[in-house]
Amino acid sequence: MAVDISLIIGGPQGGGIESAGQVAVRALALKGYDVYGVREYHSNIIGAHSYFNLRARDKVSRSVKLPVDAVVALDAESILTHMDDVKEGGILVYDEAAKAVKIDRIAPMARPLKQRIKAKLESMGYEASAAGALSYLSEVKKVKLVGIQIKSIVKQVAEETRRPLVSVSRAANTIGVATAFALLGVEAEKVMKAIEMFFAGKRRVIEPNIVAVRHAYKLVEENYGLADPLPDGPFKGRTRIVGTGNDFVAMGKVAGGLTVQTYYPITPAADEALYMEGHRLAQLTKEAAERLGMAKAPVIVFQTEDEISAINMAIGAALAGARASTTTSGPGLSLMNEAISMAVMMEVPVVITVWQRAGPSTGMATRVGQQDLLHSIFSGHGDAPKIVLASGDHEEAFYDAIKTLNWAEEYQTPVIHLLDKTIASSIKTLDPFDVSNVRISRGRFLTTASNDYVRYKLSDDGISPRAPVGVAKQLNTSLEHLEDGVATEDPVVREQMIEKRMKKMEKVLKDLPMEDKAVLHGDPDAKITILSWGSTKGPILDAMEALEAKGIRVNFLQVRLLSPFPAREVADVLAGSEKIISIEANAMDQLASIVKMYTGLDVHHRIRKVNGRTIHEHEVYNAILKVLETGSPLEVMRDGV
Amino acid sequence: MASRAKSWVEYRTPNWVQWCPGCGNYGILTAIYKAFAELGLDPARTVLVSGIGCSSRTPYYVNVSGVHTIHGRPIPVATGIKLANPELTVVVTSGDGDLLGIGAGHFVAVGRRNIDITIIMHDNAVYGLTKGQAGPTLPAWIQTKALTAPNIQDAVNPLLLAIASGFTFIARGYAYHTDKLKELIKAAIKHPGTALVDVLQPCPTYNNIMTAKWYEERIYYLDEEEPDYDPYINKPEDFKEKMPAILAKAVEWGDRIPLGIIMIDKTKEPFQRRLEKLVPGYLDMPPAKRPIDVDGKPIIDLLATFKDRVIET
Repeated sequence: MAVDISLIIGGPQGGGIESAGQVAVRALALKGYDVYGVREYHSNIIGAHSYFNLRARDKVSRSVKLPVDAVVALDAESILTHMDDVKEGGILVYDEAAKAVKIDRIAPMARPLKQRIKAKLESMGYEASAAGALSYLSEVKKVKLVGIQIKSIVKQVAEETRRPLVSVSRAANTIGVATAFALLGVEAEKVMKAIEMFFAGKRRVIEPNIVAVRHAYKLVEENYGLADPLPDGPFKGRTRIVGTGNDFVAMGKVAGGLTVQTYYPITPAADEALYMEGHRLAQLTKEAAERLGMAKAPVIVFQTEDEISAINMAIGAALAGARASTTTSGPGLSLMNEAISMAVMMEVPVVITVWQRAGPSTGMATRVGQQDLLHSIFSGHGDAPKIVLASGDHEEAFYDAIKTLNWAEEYQTPVIHLLDKTIASSIKTLDPFDVSNVRISRGRFLTTASNDYVRYKLSDDGISPRAPVGVAKQLNTSLEHLEDGVATEDPVVREQMIEKRMKKMEKVLKDLPMEDKAVLHGDPDAKITILSWGSTKGPILDAMEALEAKGIRVNFLQVRLLSPFPAREVADVLAGSEKIISIEANAMDQLASIVKMYTGLDVHHRIRKVNGRTIHEHEVYNAILKVLETGSPLEVMRDGV
Repeated sequence: MASRAKSWVEYRTPNWVQWCPGCGNYGILTAIYKAFAELGLDPARTVLVSGIGCSSRTPYYVNVSGVHTIHGRPIPVATGIKLANPELTVVVTSGDGDLLGIGAGHFVAVGRRNIDITIIMHDNAVYGLTKGQAGPTLPAWIQTKALTAPNIQDAVNPLLLAIASGFTFIARGYAYHTDKLKELIKAAIKHPGTALVDVLQPCPTYNNIMTAKWYEERIYYLDEEEPDYDPYINKPEDFKEKMPAILAKAVEWGDRIPLGIIMIDKTKEPFQRRLEKLVPGYLDMPPAKRPIDVDGKPIIDLLATFKDRVIET
C-alpha cells in the first residue's frame, strides 16, 4: 500500500506553529518519506491564524491536497477554519479547552470567513462554535475526534522538567503533532529525534518537548490505542536536506560564487537573505581549500535603506567585479525598475531574485500570486532586453540560482530569477544537491586589460570583453554611448548600440538548451497540453498522474525562459496540441498573453487561481476534468483558507 | 592610493565640456583635477560616480574610471563599488537636486555607514539641466528667473543633514575658489570615512539671485577669520563640548556664510572595519577579489556549510 499522509497543523501565529511544522516535516523525513509542506500565514506577528499543510509519501512529494488525513487544531479558530479540510473518517486532534468558544468570540478571525462557517453550521442545525463544529465533524463527517487537555499536560510537563509553566507552554503544539502522529503510525522516537534535530543544542527547549511527546503517546496508547507503525519509506538511511525555497536559492547563490547580496526587508524574500547571512562564511571543499589556500569564503549580505539602493548597490558591486545579486518581491521590483533599465544600458551583470506575492500594491503580502510575469519581462523603461527565468520547484530554484548568476556575467545583462511565495516558504525534502556537473562561468571577464581598453566594444554577438572598475580605467554610463563609454546622441551609433543589446538576447536563445527554455512533461504525443510556469509544476504533475489513472492523457509545457521568449520552441509544442489549457495564479492569464503575443497561438481554456492560496493537486485535477467535460473556457480554483 | 604627484593636465580628457560659459562646475572640475593630481591618484583605481544633472557629466571630463548612473542613485552605486573593492578611491560628484532631492534617502543612509567615499555636492540650488526649477537648497520665497512663482518650499541644510546622518567629514567650499576647494577635496578623500564637500556654486544661467556676487559678499573662510574654530571631534566627550559651536557654523547663513572644514569626527569606525568584524576575511578577500571557482567548478562544501538543513534519515 502506497504511503500518502497529509496533515494540517493550525494555530495562532507566534504560538509555535512554525516550529511544530518543522518538527513534523523532520519526523516524517526520518521515517524515510519525501515531504512537502506549505505554510499559509497572515501578515501578522502574533495572534492571526496560520497553518502548515504537510504531505509525506513513499515517492516524491511536490504538492498538497485537501481534504487531509488529520487536522491538529489547538484553538477554536483552527477547529472552525479547517472543519472541512479533514477527510471523512479522518482525525481531528483538538484542545478540550477550545470547545466552549463561540465563533463570534474569536477576534482575529476574518468576518467573511466567520459568516461562511456560521451559515454552514447553522444551516445544518449546529451551533456556530467549536463545539458545534465538533458535533458536525463527528456526526456528519464521521471524523475521529481526539480531545486533549492541553493545559493539564503542559502543567505536568512543567512539573516534571521543573520549569516555569510559561517557558514550556509552546510544547502545546508538540503535544498536538505527537498525538496525531501516534494515531497515524509515526513512532514517538522519530518525533523526539526531529525535536533534537530542529532545536539543535537548545536543551531548554528540547527537554520539555521530549517529555511532551512522551505524554502524548501515553495518552493515545491509554485512550485510543497506538496505530501500527507505518512502514519506513524508501528514503530511509539516506542523507537528505530539508529547507524552504528561500533556503535553497540562498544555497544556490553561495555555491554559484555570489559574493555580494543586497536586500531591503520584504516578504517573502527577506528569509533568503537572512539565511544566507547566517552562513556568510561558507566552508570550502577540501580540494578547493588546498588549491586556493583559504578555508572560508566570505559572502557579504547587506541590508540597504530601500530597494532602489539594494539594486543600485548590487550594480556598483558588479561593476567592481563582484558576483552580485539582490532579492525582493513585486513592490520592490517596482522600485527597482529604473535601475534595471540602467543595468541593461550599462551592461552590468546583476541577478534580481523576485519572490512574487499577491498584489496589486501591498495586496496580501504573505499570500500566493504569480502576477509579476509581465512586470518582470517588461521591467525597465526604454527597450530594455533582459533575461527572465522562472523556476518550477525547489530543486530547480537551487540550480537556477547558479545558472542566472552565470548568465548575468556571460551576457552582461540583468537577469530576473522569478519565483513565488509557494516556493519561498514551503518546505521540501530533497537529496543533497549535486554540483559535480555545475559550472561557474564568468563569460568574457577580464582580470587584466591594456591601456586602450574600452567597455562597450562592438562585436558580432553583442558581447564586449568586460574588465571591472579597478582593473581597467573605463567609462560606464546610463546614457547612450560610444564604444569607450562617452555619452552620445549620434544616430548611427545609437542604432548600433541598440542592436548590440538586442543581439545578446538572440545569443541567449541560440545558446540555451531546451531544458532551460521550456520543458514538456508527460507524453509528447498527448493531444491535450497544459501550459504553465513557475510553482504550479508540482500540483500539475501530481494531477497528471491522477488523470492518467483515469485514462486521460495530457502533457504539460512548463515555460521556464520568459525573456527572451522561446517563441519557436513553444509554438512547436503547442502546434501539435488540439487543446491548450493554461494554468496560472493570476487574473490576466499572463503567460497565455505572451504566448499569444509571441506565437499568435490562442489558449483554448484558462484555469486560474487568484484567492492568494497555494494551488492544490486536487484543484488542478478537478479543473482539468471540468474543462474537458464541459468545454468551459474558464475555470477558477478556489480552495484553501 | 599612490602618492606620486602628477600634473593635473594628465587628468583632463579630450571630451568637450558641455557646461554654460561661467558655470561654477568649471571651478569644481579644476579643483578635482588638481586634488587628484596632488594626491597622485591612479586613474584605473579611482572611480568618479555621478547621478543626473549638469554636474553629473563630470566623469566624462576626468581621466579616471567613471560611472554615470541614474538620477539620485550615485551614492548606492558608489557604495556598492567600495563595498566590493575597498582598495579603490571612490568619489561621488553630483548636484544638490540629485543628492538631496530625489536621492536624499541615500544621503542619510551613507552617513550611517561611514563608508570611505567622498561626496562632492555641486550646490547651485536649481535644476539646471531641466532649465532652472527650484532645487532643494533654494531658500523659500526666492523666485529665480525660470520659476513662474516664488519657491514655497524651505531649503534643506546639507551640513545639518550630514551631521544628523553621521557623516564624519563635513566641509563647505566655493566653486570659483579652486585652490581652497582643491584642499578641501584632498582632505575629504584622505579622510577614512564618509565625507561631504558641499560646494556653493553659482548657476549663471538659471540662478540669477545667488550669483557669484551674492556669494562673494557673504562667504568667509573659517581658517582665516576664525582660526580658533575647532572642527575636530576626537573622542565621544567632544560632542558635548564642541557641537554647539559646530552647529552654529552649520546653520550660519544669510549675511555671512562660513566655508572650510565644519566638522571632522574621528570617533566613528569606518564601514570596512565594521564589516571585517562581522565577516572576518573581508578585507583580505573583498567580494571583487575573492575566488569563486576552481577551473570553473564551485568551491563551496554545501553539506558542511548548510549542515543545519541536513537530515540523516
